[in-house]
Amino acid sequence: MSDNPSASGAGRPGAAQPATASSDLSAAAQIETRAARPGGAWALLVSELTVLFRRRRTWALLLALAAVPVLIAVAVRLSASTPQPGRGPPFLDQVTQNGLFVAVTGLIVSIPLFLPLTVGVVAGDTIAGEAGLGTLRYLLVAPAGRVWLLVVKYVGAAVFCLAATVTVVTAGVLAGLALFPVGPLTLLSGDTISLAESFGRALLIAGYVTVSLLGLSAIGLFFSTLTVVPVGAMAATIVLSVVAQVLDSLPQLDWLHPWLFSHYWLDFADLLRQPIDASSFGANALLQGGYLLIFGALAYGRFATKDILS
Amino acid sequence: MSRPWLKWMPAVAVPAVIVAGVLAVPLQAGAAVDLPEKTPQGVLELAAGSTVDTFSGTLEQSSELGLPEVPSTGDAATAEFADALDLLTGSHTVRVYQNGDDQSRVQVQDTMSERNLIRNGSDVWVYDSADNTATHVTLPADAGATGDTGESYTPGELADKFLADVTPSTIVSLAENTQVAGRSAYELVLTPNTDDTLVGSVSIAVDAETGLPLRVQVEARDADEPAVSVAFTSLSLEAPAADLFSFAPPAGATVSEETLPTKDDAAHAETDQSGATVIGSGWDAVLAVPAGEDADQLAELTASPLYTQLTDAVDGGRALSTTLVSVLITDDGRVFAGSVPVERLQAAAAQE
Repeated sequence: MSDNPSASGAGRPGAAQPATASSDLSAAAQIETRAARPGGAWALLVSELTVLFRRRRTWALLLALAAVPVLIAVAVRLSASTPQPGRGPPFLDQVTQNGLFVAVTGLIVSIPLFLPLTVGVVAGDTIAGEAGLGTLRYLLVAPAGRVWLLVVKYVGAAVFCLAATVTVVTAGVLAGLALFPVGPLTLLSGDTISLAESFGRALLIAGYVTVSLLGLSAIGLFFSTLTVVPVGAMAATIVLSVVAQVLDSLPQLDWLHPWLFSHYWLDFADLLRQPIDASSFGANALLQGGYLLIFGALAYGRFATKDILS
Repeated sequence: MSRPWLKWMPAVAVPAVIVAGVLAVPLQAGAAVDLPEKTPQGVLELAAGSTVDTFSGTLEQSSELGLPEVPSTGDAATAEFADALDLLTGSHTVRVYQNGDDQSRVQVQDTMSERNLIRNGSDVWVYDSADNTATHVTLPADAGATGDTGESYTPGELADKFLADVTPSTIVSLAENTQVAGRSAYELVLTPNTDDTLVGSVSIAVDAETGLPLRVQVEARDADEPAVSVAFTSLSLEAPAADLFSFAPPAGATVSEETLPTKDDAAHAETDQSGATVIGSGWDAVLAVPAGEDADQLAELTASPLYTQLTDAVDGGRALSTTLVSVLITDDGRVFAGSVPVERLQAAAAQE
């Protein structure tokens, strides 16, 4: 986060941050004008996404994510010894034989920390960021109301989850194509699938990981309604994702494991079996849906009863 | 905002609905299952007459033997030992595909890796994705139809063993009908007719429609949770896709070829280690292995730090005690094992 000027700037209302502050203000002005027209509700969504992906912070986060698989690929390419099976992250030893595994290894390395970190920053900023900058009341001028604003903010965070995962996978595939031979992919079951099918599986995995992050996004949205200090909401979200993973690794708490939002995060490997094992995807989707409903309802309760002063 | 509490209603209602839904699912599964009345004998016959040899399903295997958690890292010997113990502790998801007598595939799913056993006619492949190794075995033409290369994972194989062991030492009864993998099943309960064994009961859920064993659970005496459980979580009786059984080792894998010992070799090997004797019979039988040529291996085993971690010092040696099985290794290298308390093993060791 520290490499990212606008992230820290969002926490200090009034601080001179020309790029972000002005783009947010112009966005608020846009919303004010659009809200008057019918269809203003959808305009709010479009403008939210535009603002999100125009921010330098968003691009910095995506670039940092893209760097993970690229670094892995370069490190494996430059090192003299080939990685041994069973050492380092899973699939690392396969990278030299098939570059597509760069994407998979990149995801495995990103899932415990980097992806929750970036998602926590974006989700924690949703409401608190606007409140901190003093733009929240402008957004609420729109007739669509507070519920719609929450939905728009959540959709923005969910789209970022997709963008983040696709970034890791794409960067991994490109780095793999550039540095290693790419051919038919060997699955965990020992079967080999064609290149076209491999790209299909890579997309499925990106979808799985995106769904995995939806629960965390909902938690971040709820935390974001509790405070006007976005950094607080971001930190709380990220800390919770780490706590969930620590709890998930304690065998004494195995009754709790299926209820932790991080429990199925690494089970995307089930998509690399032959035939595809869809049961973990179903369980994961159900779990994330539960978190979305509960924390969505909590965020609504908080946001709808909150006095908006800024 | 005259009634702010109304806005909090969803935050209360949604978790309530979810909790209700979560509680309702096991209740539904536990609901009474209506099946035609049968005697234990009838259910045994139903199971014995089962002709299902084509199915695909997912098995859930779990063991609660009361063993300490074993670290999977460490030097190679420790890791190998831990691998062997891995099947005895924790839980595993296994997918099984069976097509007729001579085509089967068993997939043991681990996090980020998978172990495969594929049989297609006389070709048997074992593939482990963790170290990317494949092993090929050609079965002799006169091998038994089911082969004896696989680990006993299907409830069918486990149940057959238990059904064969039904002797006067066992009380066979029927528990309430149950549901396994969405199918109605009779539950056969085998209770040892003695107090000297650690086994409390063995229950086998037999599919009411086909007689296929769907679940096998072994309960230790005075335990609430089953010590060992193998159960289908999903089952389809349709033929699996044919290409599942045609396996070729992936490029880059380490491939090794192994030959099965012929019948003569096997017989020879058996006489070699025939020092092992069984004391008693039935549930409280004790297997005794005299100290012998394997002394080097035993010394290697006892030198492992895991050995000290897993076993307790008792009078006359060290004992490994689990909820179902006890093993006693005496100071002079003899090994006693059985589904009995350690005291009984010590008594057997003293008599020898």
